Amino acid sequence: MDFAFTREQLMFKKEVLRFAKKEIVPRVQEHDLKEAFDFESFRKMGDFGLLGLHFPTEYGGEGADVVTTVLAGEALGEAGVDGGLTLAYGAHTFLCADTLFRNGTEAQRKRYIPKLASGEWIGCMGLSEPDAGSDVASMTTTAEKRGDSYVLNGTKMWITNGPIADVAVVYAKTNLELAHAGISAFIVEKGTPGFSPGPPLIKMGVRTSQTSELVFKDCEVPAENLLGKEGEGFLYAMQTVEWDRSALLAPFVGVTTYMLKKCADYAKGRVQFGRPIGAFQAIKHKLADMRIFGEAARTLVYRIAWCKDQGRPLNHLEAAIAKLFIGDWSLAVTNDAVTLHGGYGYTHEFDVERIFRDTRLAPIGGGTSEIQKMIISKLI
Amino acid sequence: MNFDFSEKEKTFLAQVSNTMATFSKAQDLESGDLSMIRNHLTDSLAVLAPLDYLKIGLLKEGAPLSGTLALMAAMEQLSGIAPSIFLSVEMSTRLFGRILRLQEPTDDRLKIVEKLASGEVIGAVALSESAMNVENDPLATVGIREGGRIAVSGAKSYVVNGPIADWFAVVGRLDDQTAVYLIEKEAPGLTLTERIETMGYDGLAICGLGLDSVMVPENHIIGPIETSRCLDLLKLWENQILIAAALGMMKSSFEAARDYAKTHRSGGKPVIAYQEVGFKLSEMLTLYQTSQLYAYRAAWMADEDPKEAGVLTLCAKVFCTEAAESVAGKALQILSGEGYRSGGAAERAYRCAKFGQIAGISTEIARVRIGDAALGRR
Ligand SMILES: Cc1cc2nc3c(=O)[nH]c(=O)nc-3n(C[C@H](O)[C@H](O)[C@H](O)COP(=O)(O)OP(=O)(O)OC[C@H]3O[C@@H](n4cnc5c(N)ncnc54)[C@H](O)[C@@H]3O)c2cc1C
Ligand SMILES: Cc1cc2nc3c(=O)[nH]c(=O)nc-3n(C[C@H](O)[C@H](O)[C@H](O)COP(=O)(O)OP(=O)(O)OC[C@H]3O[C@@H](n4cnc5c(N)ncnc54)[C@H](O)[C@@H]3O)c2cc1C
Repeated sequence: MDFAFTREQLMFKKEVLRFAKKEIVPRVQEHDLKEAFDFESFRKMGDFGLLGLHFPTEYGGEGADVVTTVLAGEALGEAGVDGGLTLAYGAHTFLCADTLFRNGTEAQRKRYIPKLASGEWIGCMGLSEPDAGSDVASMTTTAEKRGDSYVLNGTKMWITNGPIADVAVVYAKTNLELAHAGISAFIVEKGTPGFSPGPPLIKMGVRTSQTSELVFKDCEVPAENLLGKEGEGFLYAMQTVEWDRSALLAPFVGVTTYMLKKCADYAKGRVQFGRPIGAFQAIKHKLADMRIFGEAARTLVYRIAWCKDQGRPLNHLEAAIAKLFIGDWSLAVTNDAVTLHGGYGYTHEFDVERIFRDTRLAPIGGGTSEIQKMIISKLI
Repeated sequence: MNFDFSEKEKTFLAQVSNTMATFSKAQDLESGDLSMIRNHLTDSLAVLAPLDYLKIGLLKEGAPLSGTLALMAAMEQLSGIAPSIFLSVEMSTRLFGRILRLQEPTDDRLKIVEKLASGEVIGAVALSESAMNVENDPLATVGIREGGRIAVSGAKSYVVNGPIADWFAVVGRLDDQTAVYLIEKEAPGLTLTERIETMGYDGLAICGLGLDSVMVPENHIIGPIETSRCLDLLKLWENQILIAAALGMMKSSFEAARDYAKTHRSGGKPVIAYQEVGFKLSEMLTLYQTSQLYAYRAAWMADEDPKEAGVLTLCAKVFCTEAAESVAGKALQILSGEGYRSGGAAERAYRCAKFGQIAGISTEIARVRIGDAALGRR
């Protein structure tokens, strides 16, 4: 066993940190307050190579390994990039682009991956529905084969990047009689007649990411927009779990480091009872818990990334453990960070308030903590 | 990066686990009077010595594995089988033994190390005192130079293996620094208190020590060493042992609860089918696996970057020892009436778990130190 990163990986992490601090972080607060997507930062991430980091160079990527890709996610969080932008990046690169890349034909790869890797296009992934969240197999969106086309009907819900996406990977039932095996995946481009995203939902956190419904009303897509094979959609959706439990969790790890530093700085400067509050053991206790959580989370995430680099099939138990731990344990420490800042922590002025709101998604998005417990208890 | 153990490591770990499981099945290693406890320990050492388990971290030559990470994994095997024997073996071998190797060990000391590695002697470390937490008060045990020897006086509390040890490493002051005095059990002036009964670790022999001008020759003195360096090192090693103890408790109590939940039926189905039970097991396994990785990484760091390892080990210690209490408590709840009966793995772990949070560096002081590190104070 060896927990060391390579020199190159660490150097790259530093570069991402520097880039994010300079190019993204100065605009975070403004966009969070306006609930606006930061297109400029997103494009810059594309120019820097982050959006297509793990794709082969011939598709506009950088050919990075999974551990490096996850390190980049950690660096974004550590730099102070908000959870909205990192979620938008995750949904774009891993839930949408990676699914296209893995399961698409050469023509589909060529059409979409370079545009998505550069950030010229924005991608999203539609799986959840208003009445089918945790119970994905009960989805009711249908795709009916009619000649050389599929006709989609139904509504997707909670779709990150929905209102701004140029292309969507959409899961729909091609066979209503079947549960998981009846699900297929489709590529739907913006402007396709019958396809319209709803207005952005107003959310508690991750506010710079735009979330909406995707509505399909007799939306006809050419048959070649079927991704992979009919009936295999659920498998493709499950493939993204590897990324979901590594690259999408990595910003939470990074943000814990960022938050700890912010809290320590505040504790050193804020004086009460004639002493900096950092002199009180109760404040040190909170700082300690942040560090304890962050270190635990880090190892769980890199275990999944490293195994993926080895070409191993996802260990669902380990993946669920990582998601459950980070989802549930992140809440207490982000809550502590707000308390540590007193009344100031309750205002938009301080990052910890946003981090608290952003992190509240951790035990919900990408499969709730309860669903992780269901998975673990079945695999025990 | 590599999250796998090598084949050699895996084979060795399985060997330790299987050998000790077979050995412990034949008898109850977790209780008894002092003579039984001594026998259990010497018998266990006799089983572990041929595996070369005792050499890890002590002797380069002949050790089956090397590195603190491998040591952590090896300790985890033993702690999962017999908590009291584990603590007894490790406080002797890995704590007392590693102290012997500090600062250019003399031939005398190396001979004792050889004997520890072959399971022939038992060691104990006496550090804590009545105002015990060394964090707050200077040690009251002091050595005074008298001719070529040192007269050591003081009192020590809670010495694991005390009643059955052949040798003691007594930590005290010397010339305004800290030294370890190596004292044999028959040394004049050394007295042992009655065995101390504790909430958990029923199979452990613990007592206090009295030292009244115990004369220690120069070649049995390790140090003097700068106080915080000496105490940090000793506490690091002790914390590593306590972390491994926590992993063992989690393993045994989780497995007991899991097996019970899969086989015990209520309302026509195994109780694991109820979310209240199944989800508890999920939380337990999450804590256990997270602790395991934490322990390995902190151990790895001890070799990779000793400076960074100090705080990381404290983090791991707080996390793992608190997780152990939580996992044992949940296991007990799942095992219910069965779990509440004396003698089961969960009940035992539940009683032992608190010790991990108290001993070494207590979780309170650990958190203060981790917090200090975040504030750039240490
Ligand atoms: C900001 C945001 C972004 C998102 N982005 C996307 C996206 O890009 N693409 C996408 O497809 N989806 C996305 N989602 C959807 C997300 O994956 C779902 O919200 C999540 O899976 C939970 O589904 P639900 O909201 O319908 O809750 P429900 O499934 O209705 O769950 C409600 C509650 O019941 C619990 N519960 C459900 N079933 C069980 C059970 N069997 N046992 C015990 N408890 C149970 C849940 O844990 C939860 O606490 C996003 C959600 C949010 C909030
Ligand atoms: C079963 C057992 C076996 C042991 N074996 C050994 C052994 O073999 N060798 C050995 O040397 N010692 C041994 N010990 C002693 C053990 O290391 C001490 O119990 C431990 O260091 C705590 O000291 P204490 O009990 O005096 O608690 P105290 O130091 O009195 O602490 C009491 C409480 O106050 C808290 N506290 C104290 N100071 C601070 C502070 N500055 N900031 C915040 N909180 C603080 C503590 O965390 C604790 O909660 C053993 C103890 C037990 C119970």
